[in-house]
Amino acid sequence: MIDFHTHPLLVQEVVGGDEAMIHATRDVFMIRNRLQPLDTFLLELDVCGVQRAVVMPVDATTAKGTKIWSNEQIARLCSMSDRFIGFASVDPHNPRAAEQLEHDVKTLGLRGLKLSPSLQEFRANDRAKAYPIYEAATALGIPVLVHCGMTWAPRSKSASPMDMEDVAFDFPKLNLVIAHFGWPWVHETAMLLLKYENLFADLSCLYFDAPWEFMRGIFGGRLPLTLIERSLRTKIVFGSDYPRVEIKNMVRAVKELGLSDGALEMIFNKNARYLLGEAEASYK
Amino acid sequence: MIIKTVMLTVQSRREQELINITPEVERIVAETGVKEGLVNVLTMHTSSGVLVTEGLPCLEEDVVNHLSRLCPSEGNYLHRRYLDIDGRIGFNADAHLKSVLGGISCFFPISAGKLVKGGRQTIYFAEYDGPLSREVAVQVLGE
Repeated sequence: MIDFHTHPLLVQEVVGGDEAMIHATRDVFMIRNRLQPLDTFLLELDVCGVQRAVVMPVDATTAKGTKIWSNEQIARLCSMSDRFIGFASVDPHNPRAAEQLEHDVKTLGLRGLKLSPSLQEFRANDRAKAYPIYEAATALGIPVLVHCGMTWAPRSKSASPMDMEDVAFDFPKLNLVIAHFGWPWVHETAMLLLKYENLFADLSCLYFDAPWEFMRGIFGGRLPLTLIERSLRTKIVFGSDYPRVEIKNMVRAVKELGLSDGALEMIFNKNARYLLGEAEASYK
Repeated sequence: MIIKTVMLTVQSRREQELINITPEVERIVAETGVKEGLVNVLTMHTSSGVLVTEGLPCLEEDVVNHLSRLCPSEGNYLHRRYLDIDGRIGFNADAHLKSVLGGISCFFPISAGKLVKGGRQTIYFAEYDGPLSREVAVQVLGE
């Protein structure tokens, strides 16, 4: 099993006493739990049977004056355990962002790109700022995961999954992941997943109630479970948004939805491996 | 009069478990040199506990299982909402309630430099929301 959406913000061995990192975590990303040893992250994976986790930074240098972990720090964490899959982030306001992405992917071994339009203060379909980055990602053959939907940052409008339609259409060879299933725009997300072969979504959405209650309210609630089972099981990857949510609780929530074993295998494993270039697509 | 406070780090490895910390508490007491006095043991976390029971694996499971029956994770808890203080949703009300029921501290007298306790009494750190790295305050008072 692979968790396709984590932020390793609390790992003591990397954060140490770095005040800038602590500020970025507590005051910009708004995670205020105490630091934990790396072992806690690995044990968190163990208790719910997850083998590997995608670990992501956000480069909000222009918008917030900070990186919520740099690409180098992500690479350093990945060097501590082969269970981590490092993604890069670049600042879309930086005219050299595309070059930086190419450099960091090639030299640091990072395997995807994370962008957060609301936190980084840009629009995902901004042709001047974002499209050169997508062109670089297409050439590198890496997936791009974009924060969509509910955000604790201001200007939620910039996190609408509908912005992703332009990107999916204009970059048909680029695999894109709508993070958090775009909640609350879950119908829009489902529509886009049905429509574009290169669009995927992760399940890391939880904004109230227990994970299993929230998940049931969407899948089998607002969206019929048959939509997932029959049409979207090839387009969804598991994600927890750890440490905002414990991985164990999100795994349980997804497993309790009532999906078939085949669909769960795709969501927990196969689709993520496809996006990472490790497996063929579930089917087209 | 000696007053010595030591923070003991405990790494839980499971979602719920009892971890025997008696040897660590005894070591801390011995290192203070206190011959007559008392020791207080207090968890620093509200989703964990400190409790004393007989040191048997079966009882360790019974304690966790019984608290889980009293405080099921599926319960209808008001705590399941966004908590600004943490930047996340609170959905571990069951862990907090287990902490309330199971207790968060214990104390033992010290005499002749050793804990005065029953032969079967074991001091446990109780994890209700692991795995996590936790801290337990151990304070020794005496002379």
